[in-house]
Amino acid sequence: MVLEVHNLHKQFKGKEILRGVDLTVGAGEVVVIIGPSGSGKTTLLRSLNFLEHADRGQLQLKDQQIDLAKPTKQQVQWVRRHTAMVFQNYNLFKNKTALQNIAEGLIYGQGMARQKAEGVARAALDKLGLADQADAYPAELSGGQQQRIGIARATVLHPEVILFDEPTSALDPELVGTVLNDMQALAKQGQPMVVVTHQMWFARNVASRVVFFADGRVVEEGAPADLFAHPKEERTRHFLNSLAENY
Amino acid sequence: MFDLSFARQALPQIIAATPMALLIAAVATLAGLLLAILVVIVRERPLPLVTPLVATLVSFIRGTPILVQLYLVYYGLPQLLVVLKGWGWPVDPDGLSALLIAFVAYALNAAANLSESISAALHAVDRGQYEAAVTVGMPPARAIRRIVVPQLIANLLPNLTNIVLDLVKDTALVYNIGIVEVMGEANIISALGFKYLETYLDALLVYIVTCWLIARLFQLSEFIVRRRRPTNA
Repeated sequence: MVLEVHNLHKQFKGKEILRGVDLTVGAGEVVVIIGPSGSGKTTLLRSLNFLEHADRGQLQLKDQQIDLAKPTKQQVQWVRRHTAMVFQNYNLFKNKTALQNIAEGLIYGQGMARQKAEGVARAALDKLGLADQADAYPAELSGGQQQRIGIARATVLHPEVILFDEPTSALDPELVGTVLNDMQALAKQGQPMVVVTHQMWFARNVASRVVFFADGRVVEEGAPADLFAHPKEERTRHFLNSLAENY
Repeated sequence: MFDLSFARQALPQIIAATPMALLIAAVATLAGLLLAILVVIVRERPLPLVTPLVATLVSFIRGTPILVQLYLVYYGLPQLLVVLKGWGWPVDPDGLSALLIAFVAYALNAAANLSESISAALHAVDRGQYEAAVTVGMPPARAIRRIVVPQLIANLLPNLTNIVLDLVKDTALVYNIGIVEVMGEANIISALGFKYLETYLDALLVYIVTCWLIARLFQLSEFIVRRRRPTNA
């Protein structure tokens, strides 16, 4: 297992957001989390790299066993150095160029020499076909370009797992495809990832496993073909039906 | 009639008093900035007692004229030092110069105003960028230094310019506690020669040129800071 979460609990002002979540990610696995808005999917993701502070729970990442409620500073730093995150609103560094955005983590997170890091960043931009935007600032890029750079920023770190928090939700519909393409390519390379998304196409076609999440807990999980065709739980059926109705 | 030659003769003397005004404004700005940073930290990470106290002080300073604050420090600080001395602190209540009192009063005033501007400039940098920085493995302090602070400074500069200009203009009040700066000098000269309009026009000229130069200086620094970030963010 690359990542294992056990019995994760989280409250906001007395309201239970996460009620004992278990989640695993195996080598090369793409775990896609679907579920209604406000069910705690994002909070779950953000608890894994300590952007939110969990009340209870265990995290195993590689060989490290970490108490999510009481991590040491070193553990927080270690987890963040071995994971990466892609955000709904991209969150590119606005005072840095596209190239610098990608290189920044290599230099200041992993201690790579600047020249080497910029070489890696340039190669990543080349691969995306964005080489001519290397010196552009985020404000000069489209949302799709920003998000693709956000994904490159995470990918170049070669993290154990990349956490995607609704990466296409803020995008214009016609830009969603390019971003999903990048993610699919990444999945094919065997990069383990956890993806919170409302893109059912991605869940059906790219996920190794789909997790249906509602009311702060995992309702059921399984291979995409099984879960979409034969959901076991009433709650899952209801959710999937309500999606179909929207088409 | 307007006595041009008197105005011309008085001008160099009034210009000679400008460094005093600039000194007070500069010390107030620098000390105020340091204090303001502490104020912002305390207000961002609420501490019981300290944070409400600081918030109250800030709102008091922002809600009262600087002249009142100047008098309050002028008459209050020596008494405070007497009390502290009574408690065995190594302070000398008689050694307080008017200039030191001006420094304290203007620095406190600057700190209150700057703390509000710094808070606003900080909150204008969305937290998501800080989060992104720590998730690529930057330690929090480095994330703040490399990502948050540069943008905070760019956001702060326009307000900082206004605050510094206000401080320079407000130094016109320190003659009230016996410090001779531009306004004090103008008062002295005009009283000696009974030529009020001439000297105060000189003072006006000095303030306008000084403030214009300072504004240009900040404009230039803003240009340099923003040059590496062409579009507004």
